[in-house]
Amino acid sequence: MNSIVRKVVLAVSLSGVVFALVPQVHAADDDPIGKAIKARRAGFQLYSFYAGHLFGMAKGEIEYDAELASTMANNLNDVVNLNNGSMWPAGSDNTQRKGKTRAKPNIWSADSKIGEKSKTLKTAVADVAGVAGNGLDGLREKMGAVGKGCKGCHDEYRAKDF
Amino acid sequence: MSNGYEQRAVWLLPIRIWHWALVVSVVAGWLLGYYRDFSIMQWHFYAGYFTGGLLVIRLLLGLFGPASLRFSALGFNWLQLKSYVSRFLSRSPSGVPGHNPLGSLSVIAMLLALSVQVITGLFSEDDALFFEGPLASSVSSTIRLQLISIHHIAASVILWLVGLHIAAILFYLIWKKENLITAMITGIKLVKKDK
Repeated sequence: MNSIVRKVVLAVSLSGVVFALVPQVHAADDDPIGKAIKARRAGFQLYSFYAGHLFGMAKGEIEYDAELASTMANNLNDVVNLNNGSMWPAGSDNTQRKGKTRAKPNIWSADSKIGEKSKTLKTAVADVAGVAGNGLDGLREKMGAVGKGCKGCHDEYRAKDF
Repeated sequence: MSNGYEQRAVWLLPIRIWHWALVVSVVAGWLLGYYRDFSIMQWHFYAGYFTGGLLVIRLLLGLFGPASLRFSALGFNWLQLKSYVSRFLSRSPSGVPGHNPLGSLSVIAMLLALSVQVITGLFSEDDALFFEGPLASSVSSTIRLQLISIHHIAASVILWLVGLHIAAILFYLIWKKENLITAMITGIKLVKKDK
């Protein structure tokens, strides 16, 4: 191949790569609030997956397995303790992002108790993580508080509908 | 007792038992739902199934049961309703051998609201306590959310209807001197002789 052909091929390839990347880069910068909403909802999917297993065992719908219970509880403990503050930017409530989120504007109000509610959940989950692998009775006893922890925010800070 | 009235057996035993069973299951279901918690949620479901069973029985009685329990006995027309409302405040017992026209309206409203409540409950889920009705997984999550909203609104509607029912019973007792509570216990009700 002579050098001109090589240069042309290189140029075309490079421009192809650039054009392929442009929409990706564009998308990333397009809607940071939309991305934050998606990310936090993904986080709640994790809560739901881990807690769902634990509640299932506590209710007797899933057979109790000490190792699985312990893993699920520890994973739940890890995810509820992530600092996800940046997923809750101003302007990401359900009045400004209709159909995308159920997060009510009172989360961001000055007298919001969201921090306390979050602490209540974290305490309850830590308690469960401590006992989940030691038998079904302990798990059953501690899961009630986790339910209350979830409900604390759902009742006051989450809209019933999209 | 004032002239023109007599004590007559009106409410059959099955419907009296049905009524008080409904009182227990609705009160229990309502409280267990309002104060729902991981440890009591299953009992909310049992109360709902029991209420649903009572509603099915009422439906069967209303369609095929004795004449006094048929839905046709609840039938009223607007003329009757208007004339009853116009003398509603008179301080004399209604003397109807069954539901008066306003009472019929109240019964229909309560049966409808409770039916809506039981049906939407079957499709609801509580994603804080991880409990879901037996049919919840058969509908999409969007529909489920709408049905849960209706379930919560209906709970308030039922509270108001029950409150209105109790207020009306007390109004009859105190203002109109007609004891409808003992009537629903003994089945014997004050009725106008010509009715």
